[in-house]
Amino acid sequence: MKETSNKYLIAALLLGVAFHGTSIFFTLESTYDALIHLFFADHYAHSWFEPWNYEWYTGFTVMSYPPLVHQSIALFSMIGGLKFGMFSVALISIVLFITGVYRFSLLITGNKTAAGYAALLAVFSSSFVETLHVFGQLPSIIGISVLMHALPEIYLWLKTGKYWYLATSLSLIAVTVTSHHVTPIFGMIFFIFPLIGMVIMDAATEQSGSIKAVNFKAFLNSFFKLFKRIISFGLLSLTIIIGCILPYWINSKNNPITQVPIPHGSRDNFLEITSSGLVFFLIPWGILLILLPYIFYRYYSKRYLFFGLSITILTILGTGGTTSIPLLVLGETAFNILTLDRFTLWASIMSLPLLGEFAYRFIQGDLKTLIQSKFGAVYHRIIGGILAGLFIFMTIFTMSLGYFRPSQPQQIKMLPIVNFLNQDDHDKWRFLTLGFGDQMAWLSAQTNALTVDGNYHSARRLPELTTRPIERLENSKFKGVAGIGSLQQFLTTPEKYNLKYIFSNDKFYDPMLYFCGWQRLRQLENGIMVWERLNVPPVSSILPKDDVSKWQKLLWGIIPLLTVLIAFVLNIQMLWVNALKTKIKEAPVFLKYKIEYTKFSNNVLRVTHIWSIILALIVCFGFYQFYIKNDSQRSPENAIIAYYDALDFKKFETAYNLISPESDKTIAQYMLEVSVTDGLLSSYAKLDAIETSITTLNDSSATAKVITYWITPLEKIERIDYKTLSKQKGKWYLKSKDIDSDLPPDQLYSNNTTGYFNQGRRRITTEQTHHEDILKQPVLDVLSAKLVKFDTHYAIIGEIQNIDNVPADVVLKGTLYNEDNKELATYNAKYHIKHKLMPKETTAFKINFEGIAWSKTKDSIPKTFNPDEFTPIELEEQPVKFNLQAAGNVSGSDLYKNIVLNDIIINEDKIEGSLFNSGLQEITVPQLLISYYNHNKTLVWVDHVFIKEGIRQQRKQDFKYSLITTSVVKIINDSMNNIYVNGLPNEPISNKIVPNRIENHLNLELQKINHPDFSYMKIETNAYIGNPN
Amino acid sequence: MRLKHIYILLLGLIVLSSYTTIQDNEITLDIKLLTTQTEFEAGSTIVLKFSTSEGIRPKLYCSSSYGSTVVTPSNEGTTLSYSIPKNISKKTGQVHWKLLNDATSLSGQFKIVPIQEVVSMETYIGPPSIEAGGTDYTMLVVIPTDSLDNALPDNTTVDAKHQFLLNETSDAILTKNSIAYKNIYSEEKSGRMLISSESKNTNSKEFTITVFPAIPTNFKISALRPHNYADGNQVTTFETSIIKDKQNNVVSDGTYVSFYITNEKSNSLKTSGTTINGVATAKMIHPDYETQWSIKAYVDGMAESDVITLDYNKVIEDFEMSFSKNNRVITVGPLQSFMKQMIPDGLLVKLLVYKDDVLLETLHKTSIDGFVNFNLNPNSIKNDIYKIVITTAGLEKTVNALQLW
Repeated sequence: MKETSNKYLIAALLLGVAFHGTSIFFTLESTYDALIHLFFADHYAHSWFEPWNYEWYTGFTVMSYPPLVHQSIALFSMIGGLKFGMFSVALISIVLFITGVYRFSLLITGNKTAAGYAALLAVFSSSFVETLHVFGQLPSIIGISVLMHALPEIYLWLKTGKYWYLATSLSLIAVTVTSHHVTPIFGMIFFIFPLIGMVIMDAATEQSGSIKAVNFKAFLNSFFKLFKRIISFGLLSLTIIIGCILPYWINSKNNPITQVPIPHGSRDNFLEITSSGLVFFLIPWGILLILLPYIFYRYYSKRYLFFGLSITILTILGTGGTTSIPLLVLGETAFNILTLDRFTLWASIMSLPLLGEFAYRFIQGDLKTLIQSKFGAVYHRIIGGILAGLFIFMTIFTMSLGYFRPSQPQQIKMLPIVNFLNQDDHDKWRFLTLGFGDQMAWLSAQTNALTVDGNYHSARRLPELTTRPIERLENSKFKGVAGIGSLQQFLTTPEKYNLKYIFSNDKFYDPMLYFCGWQRLRQLENGIMVWERLNVPPVSSILPKDDVSKWQKLLWGIIPLLTVLIAFVLNIQMLWVNALKTKIKEAPVFLKYKIEYTKFSNNVLRVTHIWSIILALIVCFGFYQFYIKNDSQRSPENAIIAYYDALDFKKFETAYNLISPESDKTIAQYMLEVSVTDGLLSSYAKLDAIETSITTLNDSSATAKVITYWITPLEKIERIDYKTLSKQKGKWYLKSKDIDSDLPPDQLYSNNTTGYFNQGRRRITTEQTHHEDILKQPVLDVLSAKLVKFDTHYAIIGEIQNIDNVPADVVLKGTLYNEDNKELATYNAKYHIKHKLMPKETTAFKINFEGIAWSKTKDSIPKTFNPDEFTPIELEEQPVKFNLQAAGNVSGSDLYKNIVLNDIIINEDKIEGSLFNSGLQEITVPQLLISYYNHNKTLVWVDHVFIKEGIRQQRKQDFKYSLITTSVVKIINDSMNNIYVNGLPNEPISNKIVPNRIENHLNLELQKINHPDFSYMKIETNAYIGNPN
Repeated sequence: MRLKHIYILLLGLIVLSSYTTIQDNEITLDIKLLTTQTEFEAGSTIVLKFSTSEGIRPKLYCSSSYGSTVVTPSNEGTTLSYSIPKNISKKTGQVHWKLLNDATSLSGQFKIVPIQEVVSMETYIGPPSIEAGGTDYTMLVVIPTDSLDNALPDNTTVDAKHQFLLNETSDAILTKNSIAYKNIYSEEKSGRMLISSESKNTNSKEFTITVFPAIPTNFKISALRPHNYADGNQVTTFETSIIKDKQNNVVSDGTYVSFYITNEKSNSLKTSGTTINGVATAKMIHPDYETQWSIKAYVDGMAESDVITLDYNKVIEDFEMSFSKNNRVITVGPLQSFMKQMIPDGLLVKLLVYKDDVLLETLHKTSIDGFVNFNLNPNSIKNDIYKIVITTAGLEKTVNALQLW
């Protein structure tokens, strides 16, 4: 028999390479995972045999992920760079996938045309498109593709018992396991076990004469006959799975993943969180959903019975948290570690042969005949058109998902950042990126500088990270309180991690950076703002690492590519013969078991029709619900939610359209009013939740109480607004808000200020900075400091003054000791201090001793978001002494002091007043530092408040502050003995520069208050300027 | 068999004979040091010469602070010459030597002294800024070195020179343990001090020390305002006199001065300014009610000003209220200022709604063109009789029974 080329397969390959090969250049770099693999590849390209990587976290081992794909990219990168390597490997994976599907389909259906259809359809299947172009999971694709290639070889080994097939199948299993570890383990269960079942069934069929004659006894007989082959294959493949990536298993055993699970969309309830349902259920299934009855019908036929069971389990596990079954089946631990979308992926891939079969039967087989005879040729054509249309729609929709709902920020030009890190020894410190998305991996691949963050969360080691359910610090704003809380700890005590530079691509974090004591260095030409922190020591030149033995390093470096080589040598003959038809080959035995497509079951067609109608109804209902929820002016609640949503996303035109036309406000006026509001709430807040209760409602008007919860980088804001709505022409509108009509008296203002500039290195040289270029550290004077206990937690409070003649950046570090001088805790001053002091300026300060929040994994993590939430450190012993280290450094930035306490009204429990901005910069976030004094005018507590609204130049802004109520403050120690300024004892320096200090000079000016515990208070002001000009 | 014995015998004889020759040589060896010089200048060629009777050439081991080495001799007749390598002869210090010979343990030492000329001055100074007044100082440290980077011997004279204002001073200091240092004290005046040093006609580069003024002393303040009305709009500017330290230096720019303002209600308000040429200015918006301010400025813990008082007069004598649209629209105004002009936009007017002496709602609005309109929303304030209070510019008006319908 002359072999002919399978035209469908060739078409599939050409189409697949052309379609995916061109589109990966536009999609792959903005996928979730691709750049992470690129970073790993960069590691191998530089140090093939050294598994320790210093660049991420505080060092981690790349033995925590199978290396084949990374090493292949690294190998290709020697030719044309990392990205060339990545795209080459992606192209290989495309070819492997298409041919894999063909071979798997041929195995299942035994029909070359059906398998050709399957390969053709696999090119455009939405699950493949999603995995490659949205998720970028190259190892996963290569793993499953090679597994599909292995399946026919396994079948042939089990069926024929030729050792050649054992060798080829094992060689392919080895490639699978070195590219992805999860695939062969679950592949064993979900693909190979049912395959074994199928082989036994085929053997039994052979014996019994026909499949119908196979009964349980015959099946069992065949099983025992094949038992030796099965068990030998099983044991050998297990050995290969363990042996090929042995260092990986050793590493997993030594460093078990003991971290708090990171939420993943695939574990959501898809009915509640519809976006997760779309991405992790609807898209991967795509058109296969319509064919589910056919797929199940076929897979539950006797021969494929075990595939039927397998696909059922996969389908159910893939539904994530929608039902509680996956949780029960997998158990708590596995459920929280695994991403369940892979089950759906495997189910969809398992369905591909039957999709091909269905297409074949529909296009040129018995189904066509059946439909045409029953409903006529026109109906067949229409149905065909609809199915093809839906199929293509799903493909286009999936491809464009990244375009309409970008999962990543805009592509960032890395070169300016790379150059910045290479200049002037900036890479001697660690850096951190904010708002880069997965592109941070690409930055890391291009620089030698170290970051405290990383993008492979299974490898994290710092308890500050492993105890939080966050992937990266970099996107912590999406991770609520845990994310921001974790980031704050890194920002407050950066010297612990040698963290000096932050590249911010998201201005959301700016106020937090400022109030934690960071300063803006400059904006790079790609628009990234560089923040720096003074007084941070460089990374030490020798860093710790977890070393592994040499044999592990050799194994890790050699085995993966060796498996590819062996697999290539063993399978090349088959490829050669199959591709070029050099000799007539005996057809594989599984082709004997193909079924003849003669009579398509009437019942299946009927059930498919009913099922399609049900699906269509569900889709229609979904669309209707969507419309009802999103028709913004249908009800007052919808109008309010739409209005706040528009404000949240800065869609001011949409918001304007919800404003009552009666208000006679033009859009120009509205936009102008929006543009002049700045502040924490209007510029840095993200709407977290909204509660609307309609207080009164009649036909034409309504009033509503709207409670909005806003996430800001500094604190959670709860706001209560009362909104009035009116109904006009069947649509609800909101009444516009009055604006502050305050007019400053003058048009033009002038102001004189002193500016400062520090040259840094005066001489342009790479030598160490000349000693005369190093400025003296400004002298600070700690006026008072004491250890106090407030309720249950401890704090160091006091006042500090810059007694030098130059402005100072102040870093305060407090340490607590017990009676035996044992160190208990260390922390820095965060929000309760003015970090920048002019000469002779004083600030009150407070150092809160924060613990690593939820360090015990059993502590439940609060669902609600509050970045300002404060976890007091758990001290084992009573702190009785403290040490305070103040460090000053000359700084010329953020010295805006023109914020005036203009008026105050003291009430019993709160203070109202107004602030006035007397300078020429717009204050974005004003802050008040409030010091409480007792009747002796002794400082006992320091508190702070951020004002939600900004203050424009020469204007006033009202504020409210509620006095603290529970206030059992106990002074534990007010000794000034262990206070050091720039490393020297405080007192002698203070006595030298200010010999005759007027003690408690400002006590006369303290504000009297009526409070049961406190008698006086002092208000100091601090301001963050968001856009200095 | 016999042959073997002969071999052994012969071998034994050879071994024995060689042993005896060595013994002979050692006995006859006689080496003496010919070089008498024990002090060399760094960088010069140092050759140690020995007389020897036999043609034996023992090696010389020599060790200095820089390191140790072994020197092979060159011999001319009966003289052995050991040339000390450059890396040792370039560094100053003691050099110990020893002939590597079993019989005679001939050893000795010589000294390498620096070249008596200064080629470079290693100079350090710090801190780079000090305070005027004569107590604070900066330390100049000079290490004069020769062309081979050797420190010069102790008691080498270094001239520490500095210029301050009109004075140029030069002090001779001596090195000790390679280092010459001097504490340079500030004078009464602030300014810039230039420092250099000289030794054996070689000069260092120039260094700059900033002498900052000392801490400020008491000062006076004044206020400037466009009018003395409490209009809540104009800005009063406070200004200090030129703030100086006790030596009459103007304090450094940027010195932070806080102005505390106490009003008639004993509330403490605050503004601040930083000095430029000793004068700090601070701004404060006028109050919007009649009051008296007493103002005092401070440099915390160091200096303070006198107290000045300012009176702000009432700007609005009285205002009108009118009611319309079922009494639900309350118009306040015209709000007229001291010349009967409309008050500038932005005057705060508060409306408080009471029912049975319980505060129901507080509305805040700012004036536009001298008027404020309040709109009582029927959804939140039902038809009933209410007491309303309107306050603005320190005035208060009450309507005890306002019927809304």
